[in-house]
Amino acid sequence: MGGLQKKKFERGSATNYITRNKARKKLQLSLPDFRRLCILKGIYPHEPKHKKKVNKGSTAARTFYLLKDIRFLLHEPIVGKFRDYKVFVRKLKRAYGKTEWSAVERLKENKPTYKLDHIIKERFPSFIDALRDIDDALCMAFLFSTFARTGKCHVQTIQLCRRLTVEWMNYVIASRSLRKVFISIKGIYYQAEVMGQLITWLVPYQFSHDHPTDVDYRVMATFTEFYTTLLGFVNFRLYHSLNLVYPPKLDSKTESELKDEDDYAMNSESYLEKLSALSASLARVVSTAEEEEAQLDQFPVEGEDIETMEAREKEEKQQEAQKKLFEGLKFFLNREVPRESLAFLIRCFGGEVSWDKSVCIGSTYDVTDETITHHIVDRPNVDKQYINRYYIQPQWLYDCVNAKILLPVEDYFLGVTLPPHLSPFVEEKDGDYVPPEKLKIMALQRGEKPAQEDEEEEGEEEEEEEGEDEEEEEDDNEEEDEEEEADEKNLKIMEEQRSQGKSLKVKVTPGKVKVENAARLEQEEKAEEKRLAIMMMKKKEKYLYDKIMFGKKRKIREANKLAAKRKAHDDAEKSDKKKKAKTRK
Amino acid sequence: MASARRLKRVAASQPGFINLKSASDSAGSASSRRKRVNKNKKKSWNKHSDINDIDEFLEDVRHQERTTGGLLSEKSDDSLFFLDIGQPKKAEQKEEEPVEGKKRKGKVSRPLRIDLILQHDSLVQPPKDVLAYQQPNAKKLRRIAQKAEQLAAKGVVPRRQKQLLNRRPVDRTVKKAVTEANNNPDREYYDIWGQESKNTADPWYLQQTGKKLVKRPEKLNEKPSVLPAVEVIAPGGSYNPDFFSHQALLQEAHDIEVKKQKEEDKIAKQLAVNRADTATEETVFNEQVEGLVEEENEEEEVALDEEEEDGVVGAIVLADKKTEKKRKREKAEKIKEQQRLADRRQTDQRQQLFQLRSIKASIKQQAQKTQAKQIKRKAKQEAQKAQPRRLGKLKFQPQDMEVQLSDELAGSLRRLKPEGSVLKDRFKSLQKRNLIEPRERAKFKRRLKLKYVEKRAFREIT
Repeated sequence: MGGLQKKKFERGSATNYITRNKARKKLQLSLPDFRRLCILKGIYPHEPKHKKKVNKGSTAARTFYLLKDIRFLLHEPIVGKFRDYKVFVRKLKRAYGKTEWSAVERLKENKPTYKLDHIIKERFPSFIDALRDIDDALCMAFLFSTFARTGKCHVQTIQLCRRLTVEWMNYVIASRSLRKVFISIKGIYYQAEVMGQLITWLVPYQFSHDHPTDVDYRVMATFTEFYTTLLGFVNFRLYHSLNLVYPPKLDSKTESELKDEDDYAMNSESYLEKLSALSASLARVVSTAEEEEAQLDQFPVEGEDIETMEAREKEEKQQEAQKKLFEGLKFFLNREVPRESLAFLIRCFGGEVSWDKSVCIGSTYDVTDETITHHIVDRPNVDKQYINRYYIQPQWLYDCVNAKILLPVEDYFLGVTLPPHLSPFVEEKDGDYVPPEKLKIMALQRGEKPAQEDEEEEGEEEEEEEGEDEEEEEDDNEEEDEEEEADEKNLKIMEEQRSQGKSLKVKVTPGKVKVENAARLEQEEKAEEKRLAIMMMKKKEKYLYDKIMFGKKRKIREANKLAAKRKAHDDAEKSDKKKKAKTRK
Repeated sequence: MASARRLKRVAASQPGFINLKSASDSAGSASSRRKRVNKNKKKSWNKHSDINDIDEFLEDVRHQERTTGGLLSEKSDDSLFFLDIGQPKKAEQKEEEPVEGKKRKGKVSRPLRIDLILQHDSLVQPPKDVLAYQQPNAKKLRRIAQKAEQLAAKGVVPRRQKQLLNRRPVDRTVKKAVTEANNNPDREYYDIWGQESKNTADPWYLQQTGKKLVKRPEKLNEKPSVLPAVEVIAPGGSYNPDFFSHQALLQEAHDIEVKKQKEEDKIAKQLAVNRADTATEETVFNEQVEGLVEEENEEEEVALDEEEEDGVVGAIVLADKKTEKKRKREKAEKIKEQQRLADRRQTDQRQQLFQLRSIKASIKQQAQKTQAKQIKRKAKQEAQKAQPRRLGKLKFQPQDMEVQLSDELAGSLRRLKPEGSVLKDRFKSLQKRNLIEPRERAKFKRRLKLKYVEKRAFREIT
């Protein structure tokens, strides 16, 4: 009987957690230092499952950390450096107060600093781990590199961020790994595929900063401090994977071409500027003249049939084609277009690019160059036009990249109302509503030559096809819209055909018809099988199946509705235009 | 007096002495009457002997030396006199010509008056400071130098120099290995994942000296949220969006706004004063008359209360003691009841044998229910993973949606006006992914109260 009475909160989850303030005291750090340490070491607060148990009976909202994490922090060498820094600041203040300038000088010389290299190694044991987490780092670096040097953060940090982002962009250009671009109202989203990892980052527009007040700059700066270190090491590794010199050097050939502009910036700065112009290629460690692309032997992976392999091959081929999208084209950027983004894009896909000499360093040819094929302009009209080049709006480039083909330039001429810029990050499942513009692009990708009127029909056809597929699958017809009734008619006709097919098969009539129906037959067989399978279903499964089918059908119905709406909208606009035209006349 | 006169005579008798102030001197001495005094003591000599003439003479000598640099009598005639042959005419003419040109030059070259005043005006050379020319221990040093010369000639190097030569040269170019700051823009990077074993020191030593890095727990590498680092904006957020996706985005933003508005309205409604609570004329009057008008009902009520109270008190008193018989009966009843329940249980159990099917069905049903619950819970947990957790005092507040209305949309990239701030987007994303806790900016707290005083000058104006 008895024994000691169990005390409350001495075991269980109460002992697994520690409040922030207690953790801070345990580490003997001030709150900002503690926060910095946690960010650098990747230790985040934790929400306990049962707050009341952890919080010793109180339900007050507090920040909790896992005790084990904090214990782990105790071993961190940087903690000592933080304390050193605190002492350093105290001493410096004292020396200033006493106006002991020699002491100030001496202290400043011995300012304690720390390195994050070991933390990088610890948090990302392998390179791929680091690459997976690079999204954040890129966003932050691009963001900080656009900051004005007005004291919101250290100027050195801004410079470092700029350097790292330029290195990254140069790598993406050299490896041709850009996949998608999306111009949003917030900024420009890019997606690249680096070593099999999809990496997305967001680049703010230039000069668009109003500094929000409710953002903790100290926290952001700490994240940036960590991420710049990470990005640097990743860049180093990436450059070496391509046999490029790191820190990046311009190709000796191109460098000599760019030499003439000495008055642009100071010598120390102009190199980075030249690099950030993105117009020149980089020097390689082993100067090989265009690597020969060896044809890789194809080994089918286990559990992968030929079909998927073929699909993959096709995709690879498409990707190769995309990489050379702008090859052989020569672009000239007018001064009002966003230079960096466009230059980056064009160079990523093998195009040549230049701009006016006064816009930026690193222009390679003049406006007067006869070989320019595309002139990117973003104003209603241009005074002096050359006859042998297209004058197009910048959206064409972005849309081409997303469509993976060169789109017809007619829609993007000067003064033309642009087609909408669709997000490449949306992937429609079958049955979803697809905007007609996207359908058009998809048709172009399939290699169909569009005439203006055909496209809409095509779109409709597609929808109808989809509808038919659905009809085949569903057996029990419930309430139906008018459209579905039309589909029903189709179905009946088809069934008739089917029966005809069967009878033909039995009768063995001339082979010509048979040849026609070979594919069809297979389809029918499949459909038949499916129908049988549905018939054999258990009641419960059948119920589930019906539910799924109903959901699909509803989706299609909604998509059809949207399409109809869109058509009505377009028609209304067209009629409006016509009216306007008439009134003008 | 006699001695003075003699001195004067001596001076005057010297060859070529010219006295500057001779006349006045003789007149002064002649007028005064002689006075007889004892001269047997040195003190009285000093007191009563007249040394004016000697003083004057010496003063005169000094004056001559000061002004001319020596005694006039010793100077040659050429240095004292010149031959006056009238003013040369040419010189005047020459002077007139460069008047304008020279005036300025003269102005420049003429020394300042203050410098003139401060100039040394005596022609007597200042006495030499002997100490300035003397070297302490000159003889000794000279001898040492001589000896050193001799030794150098022989080729013997002194010990001090030998020591200096033997010293290791300090390399000034190499600075102390300073660790650079992290944000140094020119910092170097290296292949951090390439080199594996950098420190080859004894692990035991490292552990004991606290230099060994502690292995990071695996659990820390899990991300606190399943959300991606960069959430791409909806297709309606394109700078030139498709009509429907834009409408969809607008609808979403609108829904959020409506929700917010509803909450606000709810609070406003709750805070509003109830119509029934406001004072009407009647209630005001009633309040004023309270207690003045007698009411009979109250008394009756009071009486009733009293009766009730009596009843309660009586009930407590009424508790009777149980008799033995009663106790026994109660016990028997209790046992009987227990027996009955036990029997019942037994029969029930026996009956259950025949209910097996229905029991099985019910168990199955229960199992199904729990499974469904489990699935539901799991789904909820999955959904929770993507949600921001409550990590501090404040709840996560999602950012305002970036939306441009149809008339705000720019037709071209040039006229695009960026919406929202990427910085804020990143910050909120960090909060959303549970990497940092939502926090409010620390408010500035004033320790002492502010006091407002109107200055008099200001008060006069207003």
